[in-house]
Amino acid sequence: MEINEVFKPSKVEEAIKLLDHYQETSKIIAGGTDLIISLREGKESASVIIDISSIKELKEITKREDWIEIGAGVTFTKVVNATMLQEKYKGLIDAAASVGSPQIRNAATVGGNICNASPAADFIPPLLALEAVLVIAGSNGIREIKLNDFITDKGKVALSKNELLVKVKFKELKRNQGLGFNKLGLRKALAISRICTSVYLEISEDSKCRDMRIANGSLGRHGLREKVVENYFKGKPLTSETIEIGSQLLEEEVNNRLQGRSSAEFKREAVKGVFTVALNKAIENSRL
Amino acid sequence: MKKIALNINGEEYVVDINEDMRLIDLLRDKLHFTGTKEGCGEGECGACTVIMDGETVNSCMVLAFQAEGREIITIEGVGNGEALHPIQKAFLEEGAVQCGFCIPGMVLSAKALLDKKPAPTRNEIREGISGNLCRCTGYNKIVDAIDKASKYLKEEGETK
Ligand SMILES: Cc1cc2nc3c(=O)[nH]c(=O)nc-3n(C[C@H](O)[C@H](O)[C@H](O)COP(=O)(O)OP(=O)(O)OC[C@H]3O[C@@H](n4cnc5c(N)ncnc54)[C@H](O)[C@@H]3O)c2cc1C
Ligand code: FES
Ligand code: FES
Repeated sequence: MEINEVFKPSKVEEAIKLLDHYQETSKIIAGGTDLIISLREGKESASVIIDISSIKELKEITKREDWIEIGAGVTFTKVVNATMLQEKYKGLIDAAASVGSPQIRNAATVGGNICNASPAADFIPPLLALEAVLVIAGSNGIREIKLNDFITDKGKVALSKNELLVKVKFKELKRNQGLGFNKLGLRKALAISRICTSVYLEISEDSKCRDMRIANGSLGRHGLREKVVENYFKGKPLTSETIEIGSQLLEEEVNNRLQGRSSAEFKREAVKGVFTVALNKAIENSRL
Repeated sequence: MKKIALNINGEEYVVDINEDMRLIDLLRDKLHFTGTKEGCGEGECGACTVIMDGETVNSCMVLAFQAEGREIITIEGVGNGEALHPIQKAFLEEGAVQCGFCIPGMVLSAKALLDKKPAPTRNEIREGISGNLCRCTGYNKIVDAIDKASKYLKEEGETK
């Protein structure tokens, strides 16, 4: 690590001025749980480090009109304990609670998880399923972009050198809508996700699936949606039969995508079970 | 070089740090709080656990400058230097310590847990120490010790 200068701004504008000035030579640090490792392993380098963990406005969870907004600097511990997210957003809480260990959750942030864009990032699938939108600040002002468009490849995001992720927001869930999350990890405490699935569901008055969004982690180069399976479910009742066919479809999708990888066999088998549990949680959640 | 001020175990420190120093380097090499151990150096083992503003963090994953203005508790700040803290007492009584390398981190994770949740279930205890690896004890005695410590702390609270 060759770090020459460090800053601890307390305002978003200050952070952006610093980013604008130092450009490529600088890196943002939030919880540091991804960045410190890659700096020490020499995978990334930065001579200037800008710590955003003292910026208060990045640490809030709020409701604005019918959107829920989570600040980029909110830690997973804070997500797990957030009053506003209890019950109806159990899918998000489950995802946050599944990250690392207490020490990791106390430091690791939502923004770091998104910007690091690891294929195994656990908070990305539920946010994809919620069709989350990111709010990004730069020297030219504020812009918004869908999370789905923001992640361009494994570890790659559509963020300029002088931009900062400020918050992520999604539409509030209504009574007939639900979110479910399920993860299969290797070891409980520190499992970097091997497979995780999140399902958003909207049920119509006649108990059919009106809309569904499925997002997986660790089943591709980054967290991604499963549109073929989503389309299959739309307009159908959710019975053990349709769920079986749907999960079979998912297995085929995953199999095609992972072909040739040593983990393909295990993953395509496991994904059915992981998905079915996540879907059932979403069904339950849509009744709250 | 940069000067930062921080509070460690209740005392104010103003220290010169290098920009690329981690909190664990500051604590061990500069200030000689050598109870904080470095195991993996990558967030997996928890041997370097300290309490920062009431929450446990791995000090190998925090840069020293980030600790500016924060309150840190290391194992040296648990107990008062003469009498053992009830958690330490329970660890000894239950035989929860073998080589000892993981113990400072374990005790701090236990403290952070009991500060927030005075009467945890055994599952909650396991979850609370899930970021601390121990290669010796098999964890059961550590869980017993934390369970016992929670009773000691309750009694202490009642007699106060
Ligand atoms: C032992 C261990 C276990 C882990 N387990 C899990 C797990 O189970 N599930 C999981 O998903 N992850 C896991 N992780 C990975 C990591 O903890 C998460 O990805 C975490 O959310 C990263 O957040 P951070 O705040 O620590 O990011 P940092 O390391 O501070 O930053 C990560 C990257 O994002 C950039 N960045 C951060 N915030 C912003 C912002 N607001 N705007 C622009 N760029 C920004 C940084 O410049 C950096 O490139 C684990 C890590 C460790 C070390
Ligand atoms: S040394 Fe910090 S977690 Fe292992
Ligand atoms: S007592 Fe040896 S590592 Fe825990």
